[in-house]
Amino acid sequence: MTNKKIQSGNVILHIVMFFLALIWLYPYAWLFLASVKPSAEIYTRFLPTKFTLEHFRFILESAERMNRPFIRAFFISLFVSVTVTVCVIITSAIISFALSKYRFKARDGIFNFIIFQMVFPGFMFTIPLYILMRNMHLLNSLAALIVPFIMSGWGIFMMTQSFRGTPNDYIEAAKIDGAGDLFIIFRIMLPLNNSVMAIVGLFTFIGVWDNFMWPLIVIQDYYKMPLSVLLASFNHEYGAYIGPVMAGSVIQTLPMVLIFIIFRKAFLQGISMSLK
Amino acid sequence: MSKRKGLAKKEARKGFGISSIYLIYAAIFWGYPFVWLFILLFSKWRFVGSPQFVGFRNITRVLTDPLFWKTVTNVFRFMMYYIPLVLIGALLFAIALNKIKFGKTFIALSFLLANVSSGVAYSIMFSNIFSVNGPVNKALNTLFGITIPWFTSPQWAMFSIALIVIWKFIGYYGLILYAGLTAIPKSLYEAAELDGAGSLTKFFKITLPLLNPSIIMVLVLAITLAFGIFTEPYMITGGGPMRSTLTPMMHMITTAFQRMDPTYAATMAVFVAMISFGMIWVIRKTMEREVDLV
Repeated sequence: MTNKKIQSGNVILHIVMFFLALIWLYPYAWLFLASVKPSAEIYTRFLPTKFTLEHFRFILESAERMNRPFIRAFFISLFVSVTVTVCVIITSAIISFALSKYRFKARDGIFNFIIFQMVFPGFMFTIPLYILMRNMHLLNSLAALIVPFIMSGWGIFMMTQSFRGTPNDYIEAAKIDGAGDLFIIFRIMLPLNNSVMAIVGLFTFIGVWDNFMWPLIVIQDYYKMPLSVLLASFNHEYGAYIGPVMAGSVIQTLPMVLIFIIFRKAFLQGISMSLK
Repeated sequence: MSKRKGLAKKEARKGFGISSIYLIYAAIFWGYPFVWLFILLFSKWRFVGSPQFVGFRNITRVLTDPLFWKTVTNVFRFMMYYIPLVLIGALLFAIALNKIKFGKTFIALSFLLANVSSGVAYSIMFSNIFSVNGPVNKALNTLFGITIPWFTSPQWAMFSIALIVIWKFIGYYGLILYAGLTAIPKSLYEAAELDGAGSLTKFFKITLPLLNPSIIMVLVLAITLAFGIFTEPYMITGGGPMRSTLTPMMHMITTAFQRMDPTYAATMAVFVAMISFGMIWVIRKTMEREVDLV
């Protein structure tokens, strides 16, 4: 009797959770469908009567003539995100190797300094960092989106923690075979710690792709804007073009969704690792 | 012997040499802004010329600026909706996920997918879904005959923003709590059952206390997020209606770059950081418990 009750309760729980999962997916579905249905149907129907790519054509071609170069912005976002991610992985790996495998006096001091740095919220530095960019004459250039972020204290922290757990025997063996430091870092340490590398890379990429406030402040030229800022400005001035705005939103969301689906394991690990 | 000493010395030199790359980087992109932050705090400057020392004037100005405190109250209003709803929601999500056998991955990923939605795009998406003639209002209208001014009424706007941020973060927080739940040993529940404990007793005497570190972590994340919130109100309401969704970050950015007053904006940023630190400190002081999981 009670067993039956528990089972039916369990079935209801499954149904409720499936239903909620669908509700959570609904906004994405609505957004995607809105971008591929005729303008007249965006608010009137959920499923379109006819499939159309006119909104994508508009945002990718006609918007260029309105000084909103979306294709260019897409590649700027991609370039900036990939560059920052690669730089962060390389610098974090090299510095973490030194912090975890070499013995020197200042080592613990530097590591503690990195932890101390992480306490300060980023927004405190927004205005002083803007002043630094201005003094370096980097405003309104892609360098302003890349240079301040090529190293990450958080990335070094995560990798150092992970490298510490890798036995020194691997390094000794490689050294006996005559391997140099760079070979050891990129051919031995990174592959052995590939999950933390994926986590650092993933979170860095998503963070840069999604960054909005900083590029909004430092980039004024429409031809240098990353996708997030260009989409915001397009929505601000041409918000009435709902279809194209939706298409732009799909283009901006899609890379993150794809990356999440491909690297979902690393993403889940990242969440549970951030607990320690 | 001396050779080994020489090797150790070489290693130390190399280690420090490599680490100093980061020290130089941090000096430029962290130390230099930090010094500027102090200069800005105590001076008057409009991006041209050199800053004029004004003592504590910026600080007293923040203390007596009603608009700044309005933005801080807005954050508290946001937290009033956001924290209880997202915490209870994430807790229920974690407990349900713990009990589910079929389609667990699908359900977890559906909720987490919301978390990687890009700030600008998801703000645009929700401003359309919740617009006056959007699908949500249409459904409400056919079901109950009501239309809710989600983003256009001062009473509703902050609540609506809290709702969409909940959509984004419930899966993330839920997974943190879920990780905490799975770490609780089953034997504790079995022992409690032998003593005749009901499910409510088990929840309040075992689950909640042992989940304390995860709950504190979610609270800290939620508070940090609340004080830094910018994209959603900027994109959806622009701070309105009647400044009911104006956040400190928005106020700071407009003060610095539209009113050309970076010194005052930097002072506000320091205040916001201190208020958020203070809140986190109080929460950890009053609610954090040491937990030993065997």
